[in-house]
Amino acid sequence: MDHNLLVSDPMRLYRAKRDSARKRVTDKYTILGFISSGTYGRVYKAQSKDVDGRIHAIKKFKPDKEGDVVTYTGISQSAIREIALNREITHENVVALKEVILEDKSIYMVFEYAEHDFLQVIHHHSQTLRQSISVAVLKSLTYQLLNGLLYLHDAHIIHRDLKPANILITSSGVVKIGDLGLARLTHQPLMPLVAGDKVVVTIWYRAPELLLGAKHYNKAVDIWAVGCVMAELASLRPIFKGEEAKLDSKKNVPFQKDQLLKIFEILGTPSEREWPKVKDLPEYDGMKRLDHYSNRLQEWCQSRMPNGAQLLKELFAYDPDKRLTAGEALQHRWFREEPLPTRNAFVSLSAERVPPHRRITQDDAPSMMPLGAGGSHVQGQVSQMQATAQAHLSQQLSHSHSNQSGKAGSAASFASVSGGGGPSRKKARLG
Amino acid sequence: MATNFWSSSHYKRWIVDRATLHQARYYDLQYADSPEHLGFLNIFFANLISKLGKKLQLRQRVIATATVFFRRFYVKNSYCETDPFIVIAACCYVAAKAEEAPVAIRSVVTEARTLFGDEYGIKTFPSDNSKLAEMEFYLVDELECDLTVFHPYRTLVTLCGKEGGVSLPQAEAGEADADDSDGPRYWGTGEGKLELQEGALQMAWYGLPYCPSPQAQDAQAPVRFIINDTYRSELCLLYSPHLIAIAAIYLTLVFHAPTRASIQQPASSAPSHSGSSHHSHSGSPTRRSSRSTTHSQKKQQQPQDVIGFMAGLNVSMTLVATIAQEIISLYALWDRYSEDVHADSARSSFLHKSGSASGGTRRGGVKAGRSASVVSSGTITSGNTPSTQDDSAQNEIVTPMSLVQLLLRMREQRMTDLAHPPSGRPVAVNKMLERTQAAG
Ligand SMILES: Nc1ncnc2c1ncn2[C@@H]1O[C@H](COP(=O)(O)OP(=O)(O)OP(=O)(O)O)[C@@H](O)[C@H]1O
Ligand SMILES: [Mg+2]
Repeated sequence: MDHNLLVSDPMRLYRAKRDSARKRVTDKYTILGFISSGTYGRVYKAQSKDVDGRIHAIKKFKPDKEGDVVTYTGISQSAIREIALNREITHENVVALKEVILEDKSIYMVFEYAEHDFLQVIHHHSQTLRQSISVAVLKSLTYQLLNGLLYLHDAHIIHRDLKPANILITSSGVVKIGDLGLARLTHQPLMPLVAGDKVVVTIWYRAPELLLGAKHYNKAVDIWAVGCVMAELASLRPIFKGEEAKLDSKKNVPFQKDQLLKIFEILGTPSEREWPKVKDLPEYDGMKRLDHYSNRLQEWCQSRMPNGAQLLKELFAYDPDKRLTAGEALQHRWFREEPLPTRNAFVSLSAERVPPHRRITQDDAPSMMPLGAGGSHVQGQVSQMQATAQAHLSQQLSHSHSNQSGKAGSAASFASVSGGGGPSRKKARLG
Repeated sequence: MATNFWSSSHYKRWIVDRATLHQARYYDLQYADSPEHLGFLNIFFANLISKLGKKLQLRQRVIATATVFFRRFYVKNSYCETDPFIVIAACCYVAAKAEEAPVAIRSVVTEARTLFGDEYGIKTFPSDNSKLAEMEFYLVDELECDLTVFHPYRTLVTLCGKEGGVSLPQAEAGEADADDSDGPRYWGTGEGKLELQEGALQMAWYGLPYCPSPQAQDAQAPVRFIINDTYRSELCLLYSPHLIAIAAIYLTLVFHAPTRASIQQPASSAPSHSGSSHHSHSGSPTRRSSRSTTHSQKKQQQPQDVIGFMAGLNVSMTLVATIAQEIISLYALWDRYSEDVHADSARSSFLHKSGSASGGTRRGGVKAGRSASVVSSGTITSGNTPSTQDDSAQNEIVTPMSLVQLLLRMREQRMTDLAHPPSGRPVAVNKMLERTQAAG
């Protein structure tokens, strides 16, 4: 028998050996709850079963599906990229990848856990505190962000998707740049962002050279995004909140008129004097047809971040060659003025001003969630949460057949991926 | 590659020692005809990866990465317990993604099935995409997700490419991206550049006895690059890429007489670059060539000091010499390996063009003639001549088909032994297989 098997599938024995040696995610981690679902995957909060009991964020890449059957269709370019880059880097201000687990057709990336992110800090200030972020915090967050970016850029990595949701902060106030899913090594030919990937970098943070169709771009696109993020921290809302023009049916990249206008309204229409190469860009003619604006950044900053205005201006240089580099930005005078940036960005805050902990939910992925009599402190929390989430959950599960997109669909897929009695598990959970 | 080599996964986890490699081949050695055959398999597999890569139109760098993945996989596995053919396909598939030049899984399956089936009689390659995707999963796991690989190409370009006025053929010019050598050199003093004549650097890329004439640089020309050649061995697992690059330059200096002459005399007497050769690569646009030609000619007014150059690199010359010696040994072995003519028609044109007189063996010059002179000149201290000509086993010519047969035999025997071990202690192979069968 073995012989025939080997003829038809010579790797059978190999796989059997590997499968029996492999540790499963749930052997090593207790899943505490669900954090967020992004473009490429779903992120869970988890606790290591080691003695240290450390908390992690586990990003599970969406499993490949052909119809309803989960199958191997090849690891996505984004996952390969994120994994490959993360394995090479270590820096205090870049989120650390602890390990990658490949299991049952799914990829799990285990990251150090970060309690907050910039988006959440912004929300906390705009919704709960109704007050702007203090200069000390703003400066520390910006400084650490630039510091992590300097490391990436020195390693020739362009992040390409810097935005508040992708910049994390630990409970001890240390900034961690996350989500390298779009990052690229710069020595490789950089295609326009839409090509190849279905994802387009969030338009609000997109540099003007990209909006004007530049075929080649560099690290300066990240610096532009830092400017946007810094301005957003200061004003609690996106500084250039444009409408994205969608791809047309022929997948032509459209002219991003609205986003450009949002930028010009504050920074003025770029002149050839400040940006000589602008006239060579594909969308230059389109840009010329727009109304003319003059720069009023100074005025914008007046009420929002009077002292940081000069830095922001230099981060927002239209000409990518004149834009500050991360290294130059870190040398900026602003960072040497009081209040100085601190390693714990929240050190100056009283406890109630520190943003709240990340909310985790129970809503889907039932198979990741261990049930039962764990008895540990966290599991106690979990079962409480389960109770509150139950009605919601059962509703979702009952819809999971028809609902192709969104959370219910994912829940179904998760159950089927992990195999081993999905339905009975669901029952146990619901009952 | 862009991140820092000394903190890279490549350096930290994937430079292994000989003992590890020996251990990795433990079972294969028991079933192979001779240890030497494992060396032939190294060549064979690298050639297969290269062929599949070319069918998929992968750049040379991607093929090199795929080969490194393959070698790393077999640091942890045995040929006789796996199916190297699907591993090869998965290596190409993953390398293309890791190097940001993805290819469709379907085309990998199709090309691999055609190549392996038609040319080597391997009929087991699965037609189902998901089987290759499954292999990809296991492969990435074996690679411990370390998918960023460093190659010697960058060092070569950094050292000789930019100011040497050398234009490389299109495929290789990709390695010479302006960004590629951007950033500080990660080894040595960061000083020292060598002006190599065009022919010499081409040789460092193309392989020793082959001094490309402009006409020979068309796409079909069966050029071998010294650096590319090193992937036919396990050197990429043993040594840092910059050392391999320096060894390749070293060999070029030793074997390429005009270069040696030109660097020992003022360059006025050295043949100057012919402008036409810059632009002769079958219509492939070259970069930097016109600008740098004048530059390099100006600089070549000074005689170059090769010894000083090598010393100035601040790397272990003993190590470089050892690597050079191993490259020569590889060529000696490779001489006795013959691709079937129908499988590699380029070879005949190589033999034709290079006009090798030594019995049609492509590495004749290196093995018989030059290696002796290297050793006698005393520059290589490790001193083992790679081959002894009179050994009768040395005259056996190994072909891909004989290696395919060997592989199948090795696996069959291994499986038989696993099921009915001579030691009498049964191995649970059947049970394991049944279990996987049940699991699908
Ligand atoms: N290490 C972490 N610790 C805590 N939360 C995290 C961590 N990593 C990610 N998250 C949370 O999960 C969200 C999604 O993660 P990430 O950005 O890596 O995934 P993504 O699929 O690329 O998402 P998107 O497409 O929305 O950018 C983050 O915005 C953050 O809220
Ligand atoms: Mg994200």
